[in-house]
Formats: sequence, C-alpha cells, structure tokens
Amino acid sequence: MTTLRSDRAGRPAKLSWRIRLRRDRSLILMTLPAVVLLVVFNYVPLFGLATAFQEYDPLAGVWQSTWAGLYQFERLLGDSLFWGALKNTLYLSFVQLILFFPVPIALALLLNSVLSQRIRNFFQSVVYLPHFFSWVLAITIFQQMLGGAGALNQFLRSNDIGTWDIMTNPDTFALLVTSQVIWKEAGWGIIVFLAALAAINTDLYEAAAADGAGRWRRLWHITLPGLRAVIVLMLVLRLGNALTVGFEQFLIQRNAVGHDTAEVLDTFSFYYGIATGDYSYGAAAGLFKSVISLLLIWGANKLAHAFGEDGLYRK
Amino acid sequence: MGNELNRRSFLNAAVSAAGLVAMGPLLSACGGGGPQRAGVNSESGLKAVLPAYVPNTSIKPDIPSVAGGPDVLTDPGFLGYPANRPATVSGVPGKGGRYSAVTPLWGTIPPADNSFYQAMNKALGVTLDMKPADGNNYNTIIPTMTAAKKLPDWINLPGWWNPAFNTAGLVGNQLADLTPYLSGDNIKKYPNLAAIPSAAWRAGAWGDKLYGIPSFATGCGVAGAIMYRRDILDAKGITADQVKSADDLMNLGKELTDAKGGVWAFDDVYRYFYTAFGAPLKWKVDNGKLIHLFETQEFLDAADWHRKLAVAGYIHPDALAGDNAGGNTRFYSGKTLISGGGLGVWNLADLQSGQAANPNFRRGAFNFFAADGKSAPRVDLNPATNIVSYLNANLKPEQIEELLSVANYLAAPFGSAEYTMVNFGVEGTHFTMKDGVPTPTEAGQKEVQAKTYPFLASAPAAINNPNGDIVTKDLAAWQAANVKAMAKPVFWSMNISMPSAQATAEAAQPVEDTLKDVIHGKKSIQDLKDSVANWKSSGGGDRLIQWTNDNVLQKHGTGQ
Repeated sequence: MTTLRSDRAGRPAKLSWRIRLRRDRSLILMTLPAVVLLVVFNYVPLFGLATAFQEYDPLAGVWQSTWAGLYQFERLLGDSLFWGALKNTLYLSFVQLILFFPVPIALALLLNSVLSQRIRNFFQSVVYLPHFFSWVLAITIFQQMLGGAGALNQFLRSNDIGTWDIMTNPDTFALLVTSQVIWKEAGWGIIVFLAALAAINTDLYEAAAADGAGRWRRLWHITLPGLRAVIVLMLVLRLGNALTVGFEQFLIQRNAVGHDTAEVLDTFSFYYGIATGDYSYGAAAGLFKSVISLLLIWGANKLAHAFGEDGLYRK
Repeated sequence: MGNELNRRSFLNAAVSAAGLVAMGPLLSACGGGGPQRAGVNSESGLKAVLPAYVPNTSIKPDIPSVAGGPDVLTDPGFLGYPANRPATVSGVPGKGGRYSAVTPLWGTIPPADNSFYQAMNKALGVTLDMKPADGNNYNTIIPTMTAAKKLPDWINLPGWWNPAFNTAGLVGNQLADLTPYLSGDNIKKYPNLAAIPSAAWRAGAWGDKLYGIPSFATGCGVAGAIMYRRDILDAKGITADQVKSADDLMNLGKELTDAKGGVWAFDDVYRYFYTAFGAPLKWKVDNGKLIHLFETQEFLDAADWHRKLAVAGYIHPDALAGDNAGGNTRFYSGKTLISGGGLGVWNLADLQSGQAANPNFRRGAFNFFAADGKSAPRVDLNPATNIVSYLNANLKPEQIEELLSVANYLAAPFGSAEYTMVNFGVEGTHFTMKDGVPTPTEAGQKEVQAKTYPFLASAPAAINNPNGDIVTKDLAAWQAANVKAMAKPVFWSMNISMPSAQATAEAAQPVEDTLKDVIHGKKSIQDLKDSVANWKSSGGGDRLIQWTNDNVLQKHGTGQ
C-alpha cells in the first residue's frame, strides 16, 4: 500500500493505474498475504465496534442487541474513574517519553563506540535478554529484589536501617514502571538505532577527524544528523501510542499501589468492561482511545512533515 | 462478594482442581444482562420440582457425617480406601450413542482418545468425546460457543461464572429442561443421582425448573476459613481454641511476625473474616428492610480491622503488593503462618506440597468465632454446589435419558466400583493398589488424574486422602466442630438473574478496588465511605437495592 501511495506522490501522475499495476504486480503480489492478514485480523474485527453503541448481550449477538446510541459515551465522559485513568495514562506516557525514549539512543551510541566486536556482542546480548521475559517474570524479579520482603529490604532490616518502600509507593509509581520499562525494553530498542548508525558513511568520520573535529563535534555534526530521520520516526510512533502505555505491567501491579495510581485506559476497559460483563462500556472506552490515538499520530506526522522529515511516509 | 472472589480467581490462577472435591462452592447470586431471562427460583415452586433424596448407605464411612441446621451436613470421611468396592449399576448404561462433552480442567489437558477415555466409553456404552478446556480461561471460551449457538451435547458451567455464561438466558433455549425426567420421584429411575441431596439440585434450577446436574455436592460449603501452619503454631504452644476474637488474632500478629527473619504472621484474611464482624455475606433483611453489605457499619469495622493489621506490619509485604498467586508458596515455606482461603485447598496434594518444603507440615484452621469474642459464631452457608453440568436442548428425549443413565454411572457413591473406575481408571493400567490405596501409574497420572468426568456428574463430596489420613481426620474434625455455626444467608441458592445494569452495580468494581486499598492500609475508612456513597448514588447501588427488593425479596422471600 505504502509503495503505491509514495509512487503516486513521488512521480507526476502520468502513468495510468493499469500500467502502474503491470509494473508493480510482483511487489503487489508479495504484499498481498500481509494485506489479507491485516484485513482479516485488523479490519474485519472493527465490525465489533458496533457494540460500543449498544447494550451488547453476548447471547443475543451484535445483530439482536438493543441500540443505545451514544449512551455509553455519555456514561464514559461522566465517569470520574475514566478521567482518572486517562490522566494516569497521559502522565505515565509523558514520564516515559522524557525518561525512557532517550535511553536506547544513548545505549546505541555507547555500544557503537566500543571497538571490540566480541565485547559489543556480549553487551548486546545482555541488554537484549530482558525483552524476552514476560512482564509477570520481570515484575516478580523486581518484587524479589526491591519488594517489602525482597533482598534489598531484608538486607536493610537485618542491619537495622529503615526499610525502603519501592514497590507499593503510589507517589513514585511512575518512576518505578519507567525503570521497569528501561530494564526490560531499552536493550531491544537499540536495534533500530544501531542499524541506522551502521548506515552512516565512515568516510565522513575520517574526513572530519582529519579536519580536526573532536569526539563531540563528530557526534553532533555526523552521528546525530544521521540518526535524525529514525529518531523522528520513532518519536511519531511513540506519540501515536501515547495512550498505550502497556497492559500486563499495570494489571499485575494495580493491587500493589492501588487503582487510583495504576489505572490506565487499557486496564480501565478490562476491569469496567470485560471483568464486569459490561462489554459495551469497555468497547466505548476502547473506541474513544483509538480515535484520540489516531488524531495524535496524524498530528505528530503532520508536525514531522512540517519540519521536513519523512515521518511515517515520504510526503 | 463470593462472586467477586471468583471472578478474580481466574486471574490469580487460584482455583485448584484437586481442591474441588471438598470445595465450598461460592455464592453466585446474579445473572447477566438482557431481556429474556429465566426468573428467580421461588421456595414454593421449587418444592414441587426438586428431586426426591434417597441416600445411598451401602458403603459405611469411617467418620460419619454430622448434621447441623436444615440442609447443613458435614462430608463423610473415609480413611485409606474401601477394600470392598460394590457395583451400583448393572450392565452398561448407554445404548451406543455418540456425544460431545466440554468440562473445565485446571491442569494439563490429557491426550485425546487416550486409553482411559476408551475404557470409559466401553464401561458407559456410549462414545463420549471429552473435550476438557483450560479452567483459567473457561469463562472466555464458553461465551463464543453460546453466542454461536454451538454448545456441545453436555457441558459444565460453573455457577460462579453464571453472569459470564448468561446461564439464565441459555436455559430452555440452548440447555435442556430436565424437569420431566428428574422431578420428584422420577429421579428414582437413577438411584445414584437420587443420592445427591435435594439442596444441590437448586444450583441447576432456574425459574423453578430443573436444568443442571450437580457435581461435588456438599452440605457444609462455606467461602473459606482462616487457616494456619499447625505444625509451627503447635510447636509454639498455640492451639486453635485459644483464638476466640479479632483481638486474639491481632495479638497473634504481633507474637508471630518476625520481619527480620523474613516471617510475617498473616497473608490476606479479609474475605474469610469480614462476616465474623456481623457483616452479611451480601444482603441482610432488618425489620423487613433489605440492606446491602456496603451499607452496614460491620462492613466498615471489618475493613478497618484488616487495615490496622496491615498498618501494624503483620501482613507479608508481597501480599500487600497484591501478589495472590504466591500465597501458597509463602505458606508452604513458612514465610506466612496464617492465611485465609477456600477449604478446597485442604487435601492430599496440599499436604504433599507442604511436606516437600517442610516434612512436619500440617495445615489447621481456626474455628469460626465472632469478632467481639462474645456473640455466637456464625458463617454463611454456600449453595450446595457450584459445579453444574447441562445437556443440550437439541437432544431428543431418548438421548437425554441415555445421558442421564450415564450421569447415574458417573455419580456412583464414593468407594463403589464405578467411582473407582471414574476416578482412578482400570486397575493395572491406570492404578495399582499399594498399601490398600489406589496409586496412579504414570498413565493414570496423565489421563485419569486430570479430572474430567466428575465435572459432568459425581457423587456427593466425601473426604478421602489416600496415604494422607491425617488430612481427612483434621478436615472432618474441623467440619464437625463448625457445623453448628453454618447457616443460610439471605437469598441462599436462589439463582437470581438480573439485568446487566444491576449486575454491573452488583459487581461494584470501584468499591471493591477501594476496599482492597483500605485493607492493605493504603487508604482510610473515610475513602471507603466516600466510595460507597458514590456507588449508591451514581454507580447504580441504590437502584440495585431497589431492584432486588422489588423483584426478589418482595416476590420470593429470603430463601432461608
């Protein structure tokens, strides 16, 4: 799909769609399976959004359930718990943007400066590994280490130093979950940046070094500009996902810090929609979130284009 | 509240299959939303249809049942395993039909068409295609079948998930009405089914008609109790009868907690203790007025007591962090010594798990007592079962009769030849007799011990733990000591089905969430009061109370 669109934008519209179809048919054939999967698993289920405008009864099915118009949305907008969840989501998203987003970039730069391939591979494997742990496992490890009965606090206790409440403190919850995300995902996040770094022409560094540019100047004038397109792309995607901060991570820790702090939009849909059998309400919350996300990603992409970057696609 | 507990348990993976034999089935008091619902059961309507009760006395228990109030009876206890195992069914019950069956299984799904299934098909005279499904996801698997109107011929629908399955809406149109086959004396055609107490049939009755076949019926099901590490407390000279009030329990917290040593006295106990403060299970009727649990002072008192327990530092930090799944591990390893829980956990598997961590492991449970230490102890009786199976409405009458004959075989009493076949398989292939008790072989572990057939029909609960008689003796003694305290709560086993708005209000998620924060010491009682006030005014609480009063209490009474 993207190929077609960028072609249309990139070339003057001289060729008829017939000719373009003939020219691109092998490419189109290759993308077809992916498109079919997308349609079956992403577009067809959109039909279920109808339940957000109903009093959905699983037994009666979508066709027979009573229509409720915008009633579910009225309920949603009048629900203080929903606004609390939205506020938490945006706050956590913001904290993660500031504290998490730069970490993989910094890690990639650090790794890139290590010359020994063996040491690089070793560190890369070490930081990748946590990505493959489930959240249940990741949080269990945190609990075992930092929890009220974990290694750290038992050590403090045995030495008669006051204990440190890390895992159940609502005030520092945002920092806790962000550090968990960094521990688990930062290593995985560097892959795309390392690839971009590898694409930078090394001749540029040599030339700059010959001209007397130091380490920082090379970083500032060669490395970062080379990464800029990728950084902006990742930023646009991140903003589009601003309302998706994770599900399992909060589901598991919701009881630890209380729902006031840990409720995000996804857990809200789960607890107040699915878990209580109020499916239509959950669907309405999910739809609301999707619409806002769409607007966000559209806006962020516009902004990227305005700054002359590619964003999600070349304009 | 029982409902809430269960809804959560699928997340916490806390349901233990082994525990189901003696599990106190939890109250399920609401149905899902929508217009077409079978009504509430009424006392007079039910009396006319409930099956006759003809107990089977052919196998004498070592520890006989003890009766309490009406419909209250402890489970019989059997030590070892009966050496003489009489047959209760002559010939094969089936006539060669082929049927599909779906049951929940908390454990590893056995291979399809295995040697045990084949042996069972031969013994039953039908081909039953057993399709056990993961118990932890059962409530999400079944609604797709019901929505597509593609239920199997025979299916188990656990009562605590009635709202998820919309059982009230399924009966009559997708699930067969068994009233003509089983009501009153009709059931005597199936003597093993007739040996299931009448009270258990209420769990599968909807709108004064019989639909469900009950499994694991018990006359002493309660939500749970406060259990403790008897080996450790005994060694400290602390016995159950010394603990007679909430203050005694709090003092135990101080005495037993050794945070430096990594030992905390308590895991969560609130759910199994709040009624000790005089709070109702969910509803109470005061001078004819219907009152919800959340409206009572006793509810606040119970939450406050548990909050103090948490603030004092007597509860394990991981429990306060909401890690319920690790509760058993903490208990076995001695990091917590007192923990609330369903009695289903008190069995042989529990003893073996505990002994793996500590050879002296022994579980005990405190007797029920009133929080003030003065009032008479009282605990709410659960419905006689929550494990109920249903037949497909598309079956022809002769097919229903064939399956009821199969159910009669599956419900053969404890220790009979049929019971041994259903629960242990074929001697030599699936089990061998060691020291007088059936011991599963490797094939038996894989194919038989993953329990499937008993979820279609089974005999009333009996306590039996081959090679673990101490558990049988302890549990039977505890039941006998507490049977007098058990009494029916308001709306006992009435299978109320309510519109979805009321069901949502009854789930009261915001109040439950706040309550959890309060009992873990993170919020104040005032927060809980505010949450309740909010629930009443804008969360549908007042409407729920009004609806329940108009449609249940005024029309059908309290069911007590």
